[in-house]
Amino acid sequence: MPTNLASGAEYATVGQKRWVWPGFALPGVLWLILLFLVPFYAVFAIAMGQLDPILQRATPEWNPFYWDLTVIGEAFAELFGGQLGVIALRTLAYVFIASLICVLVGYPVAYFVSRRAGRWRWLWLLLILAPFWINYLMRMMSWVNLLSPDGQVNRWLTTIASWFSIDFVPPDWLAGNHVVVILGLVYGYIPFFILPLFAALDRIDEATLEASRDLGASNAQTFWRVTWPLSRNGVLGGLVIIMLPMFGDYYTPNLLSGSPRTRMYGNTIDQFINQTTSGGAVGAALTIILMIFIAGLMVYYLRSISRASQEARE
Amino acid sequence: MAYHPRENWIPQNRKRVYTRRDFVQRAALLGIALPVLPSLLAACGDREGQESAELAIGTPASPVQQPLFDDNPAIESGLEAEAGPLLLYNWEDYLNPETIPLAAEALGVDIQVTTFVNEEEALARLSSGEVQFDVWFPTSQRVPVAVAASLIQPLNHDYLPNLQANVWPQLADPYYDQASRYTVPYVTYTTGIGWRVDLADSADIEGQANPWDVFWNEKYSGMIGMLDSFTDVIPVALFHNGVADPSQATEAELVAAGDALVELIDLVDIRYRIDGSYAGLPEGRYAIHQAWSGDLVNSQYFWPGGEDEGTTRYLWPAKSEGSTTKGAISSDTMTVLKGSERPALAHAFLNYMLDEANALKNFEYVGYQPPQNGLTSEYLVSEEWLLPHLAPALVAPEDFELDSAWVQGPLDAATEALWVEQWNRANSGG
Repeated sequence: MPTNLASGAEYATVGQKRWVWPGFALPGVLWLILLFLVPFYAVFAIAMGQLDPILQRATPEWNPFYWDLTVIGEAFAELFGGQLGVIALRTLAYVFIASLICVLVGYPVAYFVSRRAGRWRWLWLLLILAPFWINYLMRMMSWVNLLSPDGQVNRWLTTIASWFSIDFVPPDWLAGNHVVVILGLVYGYIPFFILPLFAALDRIDEATLEASRDLGASNAQTFWRVTWPLSRNGVLGGLVIIMLPMFGDYYTPNLLSGSPRTRMYGNTIDQFINQTTSGGAVGAALTIILMIFIAGLMVYYLRSISRASQEARE
Repeated sequence: MAYHPRENWIPQNRKRVYTRRDFVQRAALLGIALPVLPSLLAACGDREGQESAELAIGTPASPVQQPLFDDNPAIESGLEAEAGPLLLYNWEDYLNPETIPLAAEALGVDIQVTTFVNEEEALARLSSGEVQFDVWFPTSQRVPVAVAASLIQPLNHDYLPNLQANVWPQLADPYYDQASRYTVPYVTYTTGIGWRVDLADSADIEGQANPWDVFWNEKYSGMIGMLDSFTDVIPVALFHNGVADPSQATEAELVAAGDALVELIDLVDIRYRIDGSYAGLPEGRYAIHQAWSGDLVNSQYFWPGGEDEGTTRYLWPAKSEGSTTKGAISSDTMTVLKGSERPALAHAFLNYMLDEANALKNFEYVGYQPPQNGLTSEYLVSEEWLLPHLAPALVAPEDFELDSAWVQGPLDAATEALWVEQWNRANSGG
């Protein structure tokens, strides 16, 4: 094609500039290599490395030719037949329930802020984000205080119960309660779901909604046939952002419970890496297994995104 | 003198012969073209028994001397202390912030403290050789490993007059390092039971033949916790089952201990927390919690109202009337790292910390007790360094000589794996 020839000729004349635009990717590529690929490789090197006979610690083996697959095999076996299976299933359940609640709560909020809040929407966004000026651990610790046996929550509940003269035994929220841990996860991550969803809803052209109504669709029909499909990728994007850290979370169950009943996959990784001398390799192997699983979720997400953008182009 | 164990070490995997199949599998794994599970599992040959170096592990009944190595000599006597800064490597919150400027002034140098969260992290960083510190504070369990791995250097006692002058004889010549070749003691502690007299019946703990059994008392369901540390919890289950020395527990005994811990989930809604004793008891989150003695001393500062209400108690089952079981006792140490560039200065710092007044100043913040002759429990209580009801949380020098005092040694990888397996069972929950 002539246009291509023309641009080719142009490149030829300013040949030395050919690297300029790709060069802008360099910082990003360096960043990726240093802070992702190298650590990622280190995880593999430790999982398949060996034990230092004196320190009894897992030491990395950098040469893949000497990698030992024993530990990663044991980790898989433990996942499919051992104790770890229970913890993995529980983690899955926690993350899916917490994500579902995030969608049920977060979608209406994002919808309201993007479409109905009018000129106060920025205030609303600010309010949603305000708790995040405080560190995650601090917020969880304040929940520990609020939910402790003689904490504020139980005091309020007892007061309310006394108004109606109900015999009320204040529950111990922090004694290994599944609901408390799940709500902790929801509380911790929901803003990261709302924000991308808000952006997606905000991008929907008002004209498409008007067109839908002009063509006789009801509000509900407009939502299901126009708004929802156009915001679905925002929902998926938000889910990816919150689900990935939830799968690796361990401090939420630690702080809000500490009970074996609510232990999550991340707690097990933490334990092997931080509490045991020789278990570093097992911790690394568990990390690899988690990454494989998450990679599966990511592939699904990326495929549905590219399918959507393909549909949009057609 | 002995060979240094490092000299014989050939990485285990390098001795194996690799086939092309092995190589392909590794390449596949590297590319994360992730292979199917069965082929992965099939590739797992059994891990050959790792030869572990001989460690000199002592107990009060059979003390040991740590070996010396030609390539790791102590410094000469009579050296001038080097110029600073002195670099310390310590646990978080394990040195009084007010002690640092005082020591810096006394020694005439700057002092910088770097902290580690746990000993695994500390060992990893020290053995990688990437960090440079002068003084490290390992637990006594880690000393044999640190010596064998040449992480620390022998001490020259000419620089440490306070060791013989001030420190309990039991720890000036300790069972884990006879003649204090590599270490001087820092603080000492026991592992026992903390409880609230207003929330639990003291008679369920005091005067019992096995006070550890209280963790299996369903009366306290939801109000019981233990330390989130398997090396502290598994011994409790072993003691509960009547095992005399947890270090020697057989696999069957460990499985039985795991069973006992699994039982706790439904029986008492057990929780495992590291802050359960010093913060959880004063806050009323627990009626009974396993505790390190020093943490219970610290609990006096964690009362929600600011004032210690005097209702916390501590019991070390090894020294309880009518008790026939054991309890752990331990101590932490101060060492000079082999790679230190200021060894004479580091010795001077160790000697500074072994001074009675300086040790007391540090205790005021840390809550863990320095083994100093002058700092008896009577003295500490009468001078109001400690509330009287917390006095049982103090260690006495003779405690190390009790038959019921149990000392935990380092676990080799195979044994540790057995312990962790039971800990995972106890932690999976229903």
